[in-house]
Amino acid sequence: MNYARGDMIEMLAAEYVVGTLRGPARRRFERLCTVSAAATAARGRWEDRLSALALQLTPVEPRAEVWRNIRASLAADPRARIGERPRMTRWLPLAVAAVLLGIAVWLGPRLLPQIEPTVMVTVLGADPAHAQWRVERSADAHRLRLVTIAALAANPDKTYELWALPRDGTPPVSLGLLPRQGDTARALSERQAAALLAAGKLAVSIEPPGGSPTGAPTGPVVMVGVI
Amino acid sequence: MRSPQFDNNELEQLLVRCADKDQAALETLYQRVCPQLFAVVLHILRRRDLAEDTLQEVFIRIWQQAGQYDQLRGRPLAWMISIARYRAIDLLRSQRRTVSLVEDELPEEFVAADEDSDSIEESSRTQRALRDCLRILSVPQQRSLALAYQAGLSHEAVAASMQQPLGTVKSWIRRGLQSLRRCLES
Repeated sequence: MNYARGDMIEMLAAEYVVGTLRGPARRRFERLCTVSAAATAARGRWEDRLSALALQLTPVEPRAEVWRNIRASLAADPRARIGERPRMTRWLPLAVAAVLLGIAVWLGPRLLPQIEPTVMVTVLGADPAHAQWRVERSADAHRLRLVTIAALAANPDKTYELWALPRDGTPPVSLGLLPRQGDTARALSERQAAALLAAGKLAVSIEPPGGSPTGAPTGPVVMVGVI
Repeated sequence: MRSPQFDNNELEQLLVRCADKDQAALETLYQRVCPQLFAVVLHILRRRDLAEDTLQEVFIRIWQQAGQYDQLRGRPLAWMISIARYRAIDLLRSQRRTVSLVEDELPEEFVAADEDSDSIEESSRTQRALRDCLRILSVPQQRSLALAYQAGLSHEAVAASMQQPLGTVKSWIRRGLQSLRRCLES
């Protein structure tokens, strides 16, 4: 079928919004929207029109935990203004955190003697306000330490895999799976250590249980941390 | 089938305050739209735990992108629904690499838009217009569109669910959308 260009954009936008435009065609349309006001407007029109179908669904209440988690993520956003709360409730958690951090810093080396003094590599998160993991390495990069900042919900269907992205553009090298909670340290192979030292960025992809089956990221890259 | 009232002017004000990093505004916004957005992601992901994780991400995105909300992109509720749907659809696609979802577990919510319509309290003219225009579509066109939009199913999955050839389903959806457009623009 031959559409005029306007009709074509309109129908691409419609199928994009419905969700049936998939794969590379979906990404192409997204790129088109960044440069074409007509495409952006068509997408907006269909989002508006079809949202009526979403409003047919009966509302469902999630658990109260969801809002608590959202608020906790916002608390990490330094730009957030926290309404009319008394100052005390603003500073108390920070003070408690500082004391705990002090204790942890003092206790840490005593409780975990196997973890060497480390070099900070990067903090990974969907954005700076939403830190998920802290990555540290030993001076020679042969040991890696992964500290979970926000525990993840148990979900056996997906794992998070850490990748070193070398500055020279060679393929990413896996640094293993990320923990869902707590603090882990592991030894790195020569190849991994070299890749870590040569890396400009670290990335996290979502992979099937057990990690990428191919040795290269297969799932979406959800976080990137600059070293 | 119950659809709450949404005041798009209020939602827009709340988004403006979110862009200004006012956390109380996000809390109010959450109270207003969260159950509807949760229904949207739950219908696509069909797992409560995943849907709750996604809902969390969606509100963080709304918070971060509130400054980019633009009236040209539609009404604020439609904008938020889109953020939720696209995130859920992307996640569904990445999940499908490893988990094949059972299509017969579809929720029972898929209703042609004109069912029971007299008892619905309409929240906007758009909704009423869409409902009226959906009436002119054939029943298979309505149903395939609802499966794709509400459950985030691909053409292939809609075809499997309706036990119809892929080409038939593709053309139902395409023609349904064309008819809707003609109707809504007339």
